[in-house]
Amino acid sequence: MSEASQVLWFDAVPLLIVAAAYLGAAAFHPRRGEDLGAQLVYPVLGLVLATYGIVLAATEEPPPGGVWLALAVAGLLAVPPLVALLQRSAPEAREAPSARPALGDGAAEVARALLTQAEELAGVELACLVLVEDETRIGRGLVGRVGGRELDWFGEVQIDLDNEPSGVGTAVFEAAPFAVYDAGASKMVSRRLVDATRARSIAFVPLVVDQRVIAVLVAGSVTEPRAFTDDDLGVLLRAAREHAVALDRARSTAGLAEALERERFVARISSRVRSELDIDDVLRVAVEETARALGVDRCFIRLGAGSDLPTAQWQAAGLGRIDSARQLAASNLAVQRRRTVAVEDVATAEELDEAGLGGRDTLLALGSRSVLAIPIVVFDELLGVLALHRAKPGRWSPPEIALAEAVAGEIGIALRVAQLLRENELQISRQNAFFRIAAVLGQSLSLSDTLDALAQAATDALDGTFAAVLMPRGSELDLAAGAHVPRDVAAALRDGVPESARCLQAAAEDGRVLASPDVTRDDRFEQDWQDLAGRAGYRALIAVPAASPRAERGGLVVVFFSDERRFTDDDLELARHLGDSARGALERSELFEAERTARGLSQQLARTGGVLASELDPAAVLDEVVQQAPELLSADACAVRTVEDDELVVSAASGRGAEEAVGTRTSVTGRLSGDVFQSRSPLALEDASSDERLAEADPIVAAGHVAYLGVPLTGPEGNLAGVLSVYAERPREWRQEEIEALLALGGNTSAALANAELYSRVSLEKERSVAILANIADGIVAVDRDGDVVLWNSAAKEITGVPQEEAIGRTTAQVLQRQLESSDETPSGPRLVSISRGSEEVWLSLSEAVMRDPLGAVAGRIFAFRDISADRMVEQVKSDFVAAVSHELRTPLTSIYGFAETLLRQDIPFGEDERRTFLGYIASESERLTEIVDQLLNVARLDAGDLQVELGRIDVGSVVSELVETVEQSGVMNGHRFELDLPDEPLAAEADPDKVRQVFNILVENALQYSPGGGTVTVGARRNADRVEVRVADEGIGIPAAERERIFRKFYRAESAARDGAAGTGLGLFIARELVTAMGGRIWVDSTEGEGSSFAFELPAARE
Amino acid sequence: MDGYSGESGDAPLMTKVLVIDDEAPIRLLCRVNLEAEGMDVIEAADGPSGVDMARDERPDVILLDVMMPGLDGWRVAEQLLEDERTVGIPIIFLTARAEFRDRARGLDIGGVDYVTKPFNPIELAPLVRGLLDRLDRGERDELRAEKLSELRSLMESEA
Repeated sequence: MSEASQVLWFDAVPLLIVAAAYLGAAAFHPRRGEDLGAQLVYPVLGLVLATYGIVLAATEEPPPGGVWLALAVAGLLAVPPLVALLQRSAPEAREAPSARPALGDGAAEVARALLTQAEELAGVELACLVLVEDETRIGRGLVGRVGGRELDWFGEVQIDLDNEPSGVGTAVFEAAPFAVYDAGASKMVSRRLVDATRARSIAFVPLVVDQRVIAVLVAGSVTEPRAFTDDDLGVLLRAAREHAVALDRARSTAGLAEALERERFVARISSRVRSELDIDDVLRVAVEETARALGVDRCFIRLGAGSDLPTAQWQAAGLGRIDSARQLAASNLAVQRRRTVAVEDVATAEELDEAGLGGRDTLLALGSRSVLAIPIVVFDELLGVLALHRAKPGRWSPPEIALAEAVAGEIGIALRVAQLLRENELQISRQNAFFRIAAVLGQSLSLSDTLDALAQAATDALDGTFAAVLMPRGSELDLAAGAHVPRDVAAALRDGVPESARCLQAAAEDGRVLASPDVTRDDRFEQDWQDLAGRAGYRALIAVPAASPRAERGGLVVVFFSDERRFTDDDLELARHLGDSARGALERSELFEAERTARGLSQQLARTGGVLASELDPAAVLDEVVQQAPELLSADACAVRTVEDDELVVSAASGRGAEEAVGTRTSVTGRLSGDVFQSRSPLALEDASSDERLAEADPIVAAGHVAYLGVPLTGPEGNLAGVLSVYAERPREWRQEEIEALLALGGNTSAALANAELYSRVSLEKERSVAILANIADGIVAVDRDGDVVLWNSAAKEITGVPQEEAIGRTTAQVLQRQLESSDETPSGPRLVSISRGSEEVWLSLSEAVMRDPLGAVAGRIFAFRDISADRMVEQVKSDFVAAVSHELRTPLTSIYGFAETLLRQDIPFGEDERRTFLGYIASESERLTEIVDQLLNVARLDAGDLQVELGRIDVGSVVSELVETVEQSGVMNGHRFELDLPDEPLAAEADPDKVRQVFNILVENALQYSPGGGTVTVGARRNADRVEVRVADEGIGIPAAERERIFRKFYRAESAARDGAAGTGLGLFIARELVTAMGGRIWVDSTEGEGSSFAFELPAARE
Repeated sequence: MDGYSGESGDAPLMTKVLVIDDEAPIRLLCRVNLEAEGMDVIEAADGPSGVDMARDERPDVILLDVMMPGLDGWRVAEQLLEDERTVGIPIIFLTARAEFRDRARGLDIGGVDYVTKPFNPIELAPLVRGLLDRLDRGERDELRAEKLSELRSLMESEA
């Protein structure tokens, strides 16, 4: 090579190339405008290099450093612009496949390679590749060439593998190559294919991967028939094998890409629809995106069963909107079947003719030929349908269907989410309102607090400006509570709901919600109320019925809004809820109030009852009642009427008009109190002012009271005694508890009246009883159920010796050491009971009455008794006397008779002394007998009052000493000795000497008899003022104090004497006393038991 | 005493009778008539000395007056029957009480017989002897039963 050409090729050309590169880089740099290199360096460098290159080429002089150096420099310099160029072209290369991810681009390449190979190796003119789709059993044309020229329509070929005789199907089934010599005549080969390709002979070669036919290579001759040999088929099969895997991979890649693309699309829709919270936006985006993605002419979504218009729709330019979606058969069918309906051609789709779907005409009229309809179902709930229409008939490919279904699913979820979200929001806001209502209403219990809370809760919940609670009072609705109620409104409602807002009253009565979005334009309200709205600053109002379940009439909560307000369903719902909550709260509060009122009433009643019970004057009871009753029921007036001669007379009254009312009379058949009297039941009137006649019937009503409550008063025997009534000046409800309280007060009043009357009767009775009991001779003792003495009259005290104050409160056993109660359940007749009074035994004849309570249990006993000791003693004494007399008579008789018999004995020779002794006894015992008989006679005489005393002046001392001498001589001394205690001077007394002797004898005999152990018998006499006292004292057994009086009674013998069987008739001391008394003297005894007795009698001293 | 002693002079075989009575004439009456029948008679004038004497002398039979001051006949009988030394001695009550209940009481206490005052003193000795004979034969219980039924029939005839 010459030096000049060397310079040209190795210096000038590289430089020019590099320069071009720089200039190109500058021109095409992707970030032109940002990069300094691209903006300045590259063009400048390019120009310099270009100039230098041209210079070298022209001069043909090698540059300094030689050719290689220039080459190296050019090479080095070329790197940056090339890099820049590559950078620019690289992204374009990457983006290219995704720009149109046409199905099977890769696969087509493989197919072409295969076809080329088949054409070359087997020399065929026709070469096509049909892909086998397993899922749909369809063969789909991929690439087809005839004579090396591609058939543009082949991509649209579809072969039904199962039903269409095509050859392809056979190849798929057989998985083996085969050839048909005369394609035109063969029934195995697709006629369409043959017609379209004009093939004469055809070979079908399956492409098998993993024992699966993925495609079929169709090779054939067009010009003339050809018999494919096994070699030919073998060649084709080899070629097919070589490309099968590549095709499969390419197809998979394509499928994957397609799926990815679909996912991406769905994800995009999904993210868009889900990011849209407004459902309408969601749907709009969905139809647009889907339509665009699937290249359809129409896309719409219809939600809900009832809607006619599509909820969202999109249509290609030039198409009209759908006005009515109801008659769109494919959508309807999809909805009906709840599954996707794909219609290839509406014109031939007979399934759309099914009755009720809407027919095909509607679809055809829309210009739709192929339709895809997918139900939107979420969680088994059918929300609507997504429909895609194309103007041309055509099959819906599985990817399209899958895409559309995925979109429908996404829309469903988005709808669901949006719906839930909206419901949730509503729910939350409603719940918040509910909670507020519940919280506010749940806190307070008293009625007024509850009503205030209700007003506040209503304002808050409905976001109102202010609220008023109107509750029934009488026939009116009263402003019971409010929240921020303006003065004007409060004033307007003060006397109930004004006439101009009658509809509120009606709403309360009907228990319905009344909503007025704009009061000023609401003809249900009259002018006044509308004017009020302007003044008070409100436009809208909603009235919610708020009734306690117990109340007959309901109230209202009226919420006012400053601005016009359209009430939504939610508002109404909230209002209803408010009403329900109010109902609950009112009921609770009612119960609370009822309980509180009842408690208050019962406390008040108890106090009143206490006061009444202590009142014992009937007039005072009435005065007390008419003061207490209004206080009890927070009323203003009260009257008690009592019945007199078929008229009700006001006996007592309090409050306005009371003074004039007292003493007025009305007929028992009159109104008000007369009604109460006639019906015997309470009468409660909230407002009596409506009836003029009521005022005439009752002066207290006439005095300006309007509310009336009357209850009957019942007498002690259940008879109707009168009427108790209370009055209030304002209309008011009478609560059941209040009615019952007044009934109770009425009962108390009746009882108190009865008590007071009873008390005066009883106190009289009692005085009488006390007087009777005090003067009754029988002992009366009453004991209570515990046996404790509650009554002990003075006779009881006399008889038992126990004073009343010692007896009361103790049992009879404690008081008398003996229980008086009989063990019999029903004591009958008097019993004989002995008790001791001191040391003395007292015999009682006791009657007993048992008092029983209504249940039959012993409630107490009353004992009545009298002292029959005396009677009893007489009996005893008489019997003892008979025994004693018998003894006294028989003893001397025994001796007399015995000695007489003895003396008469013949068998014993008695000596004279003996005889004398015997006869002496006979004589003395006869004398003794005589004495006894004399005594008896004396007594008989004393009884007959036939006692003669001959008083004379005697010397008691000498009489006594003579007698002592006689006794000492009689030999009855029995170990006793006498001691005389006589004064020296004579003791003159005025007495009968025989009787004195008799008395003295009796005393001495007793002294001897009752001192069986012997001892001294002291006999004394002395002057004691104007009396002469004689005393005989022994050292014998003595006499118990209890007997010291009795021994002087007739027949009475000291108990010890009777018991010991001592002799004696019991007449001696009786006779002695009678004799001494007859002589004007007296006799008594002093004794100490076990030490002796000292009997004494005194006689009047003889006057000087 | 010798003049009117009984048919048997054998001292140990003599029946010993204790008479307890506060009336001296009645004690004498008993002594005279019983000794005439050959019985040995001892006397006590009141209850306590009678009880002592019965313990000391161990009589074969006791004639016991009921109505005595101090300790009466019933109580004397009770004391005697409580004492083992005297429990076996038959007691015949002498009583001026005519009521049947008094007689019955004597038998109830443990007496074997009773004699109502006034009585014929001549019949006293045969009564004592007959009684002792029957007691010797061990008929004490039969005797009392007999007396009780006799008393009962008397009471019934009176009623």
